[in-house]
Amino acid sequence: MVLPQDALWYKDAVVYQVHVRTFYDSSGDGIGDFRGLAQKLDYLQDLGINAIWLMPFFPSPLRDDGYDIAEYRSVHPTYGTLDDFKTFLDAAHQRGIRVIIEMVLNHTSDQHPWFQESRSSRENPRRDWYVWSDTDTRYRGTRIIFLDTELSNWAWDPVSKQYYWHRFFSHQPDLNYDNPVVREEMWSVMRFWLDMGVDGFRLDAVPYLVEREGTNCENLPETHSILKDLRIKLDQNYPGKMLLAEANQWPADLRPYFGDGDEFHMAFHFPLMPRMFMGLKLEDRKPITEILQQTPEIPSACQWCLFLRNHDELTLEMVTDMERDYMYDEYAHDKGMRLNLGIRRRLAPLLDNDRRRIELMNGMLMSLPGTPILYYGDEIGMGDNIYLGDRNGVRTPMQWNGGWNGGFSNADPESLYSPLMLNPVYGFQAVNVLSQKRFDHSLLSWMKRIIEIRKSTPVFGRGSIQFLYPANHRVLAYVREYGKDSILVVNNLSSSAQAVELDLRKYKGNILIEMFGRNIFPRIGELPYLLTMGPYQFYWFRLRKI
Amino acid sequence: MPEGSILSDDFLRELINVGEVDILVGLPTYNDAKTVAQVVQAIRTGLLNYFPRQRAAIINVDGGSRDPSQDLVRAASISDLQHLSNIHALRTLHCISTRYEGGPASGIALRTILSAAELLRAKVCAVFSADSTNTEPEWIGRLLSPVVKDNYDLITPTYRRNKFDGMLVQNLVYPMNRAVYSKRIREPYPTEFAFSGRLGSYFAAQDIWSQDVGKEGAGIYLTIAAITGNFRLGQSFIGTKARVDTGATDLVRAMRQTVGVLFWSLDPNFSVWSSNGMSEPVPTFGAESDLTLEPLRVNRKRLFQMFALGVAELEPVLKSILEPPTVEELQRAAALGEENFRYSDELWVRTIYEFAASYHKQVMNRDHIVQALAPLYRGRAFTFLAENRDASAEEVETKVEGLCREFESRKPYLLQMWNERK
Repeated sequence: MVLPQDALWYKDAVVYQVHVRTFYDSSGDGIGDFRGLAQKLDYLQDLGINAIWLMPFFPSPLRDDGYDIAEYRSVHPTYGTLDDFKTFLDAAHQRGIRVIIEMVLNHTSDQHPWFQESRSSRENPRRDWYVWSDTDTRYRGTRIIFLDTELSNWAWDPVSKQYYWHRFFSHQPDLNYDNPVVREEMWSVMRFWLDMGVDGFRLDAVPYLVEREGTNCENLPETHSILKDLRIKLDQNYPGKMLLAEANQWPADLRPYFGDGDEFHMAFHFPLMPRMFMGLKLEDRKPITEILQQTPEIPSACQWCLFLRNHDELTLEMVTDMERDYMYDEYAHDKGMRLNLGIRRRLAPLLDNDRRRIELMNGMLMSLPGTPILYYGDEIGMGDNIYLGDRNGVRTPMQWNGGWNGGFSNADPESLYSPLMLNPVYGFQAVNVLSQKRFDHSLLSWMKRIIEIRKSTPVFGRGSIQFLYPANHRVLAYVREYGKDSILVVNNLSSSAQAVELDLRKYKGNILIEMFGRNIFPRIGELPYLLTMGPYQFYWFRLRKI
Repeated sequence: MPEGSILSDDFLRELINVGEVDILVGLPTYNDAKTVAQVVQAIRTGLLNYFPRQRAAIINVDGGSRDPSQDLVRAASISDLQHLSNIHALRTLHCISTRYEGGPASGIALRTILSAAELLRAKVCAVFSADSTNTEPEWIGRLLSPVVKDNYDLITPTYRRNKFDGMLVQNLVYPMNRAVYSKRIREPYPTEFAFSGRLGSYFAAQDIWSQDVGKEGAGIYLTIAAITGNFRLGQSFIGTKARVDTGATDLVRAMRQTVGVLFWSLDPNFSVWSSNGMSEPVPTFGAESDLTLEPLRVNRKRLFQMFALGVAELEPVLKSILEPPTVEELQRAAALGEENFRYSDELWVRTIYEFAASYHKQVMNRDHIVQALAPLYRGRAFTFLAENRDASAEEVETKVEGLCREFESRKPYLLQMWNERK
């Protein structure tokens, strides 16, 4: 299969996020690898996704799950070789699946040779590849991100007897982007992977590239300037490739990352995600519509990335204290579920394994404006293990079948990189791909269906949105429009049946065609359009004037 | 309005949109545009401060206002369409409104609120008056918290009052209600109160709504029903309440809504009050009573004149209602003149109990009985003012307590009159 040559391909994408380590172990060493991932591409193609976002797979001491990179131009040996990666990449492309890889620009591992050289002496040529200081009092207005583990953004280096700057763990020193040599080197790294054929980068932690005294060292103009420069080089040399920003910020602060369409193609909409969970628990659309009302317009070629869950905790940084308390009480009553300012749980356990709520949340994910990202395993309702440290509880092996190691690996169970889920509700014997493939009404089959419907029209990826604001606040309704196509989406956030009247006079004369069953609903007239909805039910209607 | 329903289709549609709630606050209005915006904002702030996670709604029932009272209530809604920069709320807060025709009727308003509460399965309800000029958000916390958190069924308020404010309550409604129903509820006829959904449903099912008591006196009867139904009662101090000065109060109407209902309630609840013992206190959050001593301008001379005139002009009526010694004593007292007149506790209690018994026996039109009590109450009010002119708060409180004990100790007399009088 030849990849469609549409420069805006990322708008129509359904992205699947996976860590190579977690997916499939082809070598029998207990750790997933690229050959294994390549073997499972048929599964992903069948699921219907058309892009993969790979988490870091570079050589690393793995003290932060690969976000502590020790070598940018290679593959961690436990995941395979560069050739294995290339084979996987080509196989994905043959199936019409694009590959987005992680690129951690902001920092390296303290084991990276650059840092080892930098710290070796103050006179080393790579000394100013990192941010050094005689005191730990500079940039005092900067918040600490990993509150649970770090006391300062400065760490003392006993070798060269200075402090070095780190926004994340102390073993992840920040690169010095004021140094043009660093900027050129990182572009060179990106070129290496682009030349190999990757389709885009998820650029990690981009707000923190540059530090300036008297600021909070986030979202600085100098940072944007660096990113714009990268984009120019990308467009000039690699047209059709995509940059995705990871910037956990408010929408208004995120907006500059799109620039005038000359910075990032996509950015995660972090504040929306917790509000979707909040709206569901409150049975009230207000948190969702309010954050989307506060979301600024973005250039036409840009796109939001939406997600329900990912490899990190469900971040509650972008909510008020009152909202955070509410979320903790409702979704993380066990303190072990909390990490930093968030909740380290997967989708299914967060939603009490309630199939209706899982479907509703995925329905919103697929129909709100943006490109949806599915986290591996959520398509079958995998659970989490909060007794594993850090965020490892949501990074357990993919559950392929009910057999040995859940079909993930032939290794001894004790040698797996992580214990499998074993409990009777979420364990691999209860929740796995094979068993769900056998039934048309399994969650996996349903996910395939909704992805298929999502992809059947460009409206969801490219269309405008107009909220309807019915008086019943438990119902979230909007119309997505693109060209001549219009789709009405109605979501009942309530655990009980609801009646809702929709003002659809603008669409008078249209009939409604329900997109899952393709059944016809009555024609829209002058009167409010009355719908009755079951608990957590949602409808997607195509509006047709026939 | 659909036949047999008190809810219009439009209002029902609004209720459907509100959906199930945890807390419902009812707000009856009638031309209250001057005050209702402040009241509804205080309620809203109270709900956000004290119950930010609960599903709440404010429901206005309007008696046909000619001013924008209804619009002012609706404007307090919190939704994704109405952005209030100074307010942060987790949830949507619906402020909806309905109206009925025929002028203000507290019973119709309360029944509408109860019906809405039942449809919305409200766990906790409250009613606030829209004519208050100083409603505070804290009132929400003080009245509703015991119901929400401690499972009380009815919380009535206690107020900080001027010692001469609420004389009808202090001289009649409180002491008689306490003596008859054995619960020391300081404000049996409150304009702000909170109650459980359970009590609301129980009360809505009472067979009173087609009677006068259901139209005019449902407020006090809710308290009585809560007592006789063995619901869990409490009271909570909310401080000073100020309201719009609308000129002279219609005393007869006020007596119909309070004393008339109290008298009326004795018949259906005879088995309860005839057998219970001395009164007992109800749990009180904050002060039970807090009197202030600022001078209050009252035309005492006029009160006495109306008393004396009433005793003279209503002599035939009073003779039908009261025992002969009571009538004679009143006539003697009226003849003493303003300087020497005193309406003693003993005579006042005897008067009230004989009125109650006559009301029971229907010696004449019951409404006329209540009306005939008005001039006598003015005589009692005159005495209360005179006796307490220079009294401290404690002294006033002691006197009110003394009157209550008089009512309680003479309860056998009420029973005697009840059973004997033909």
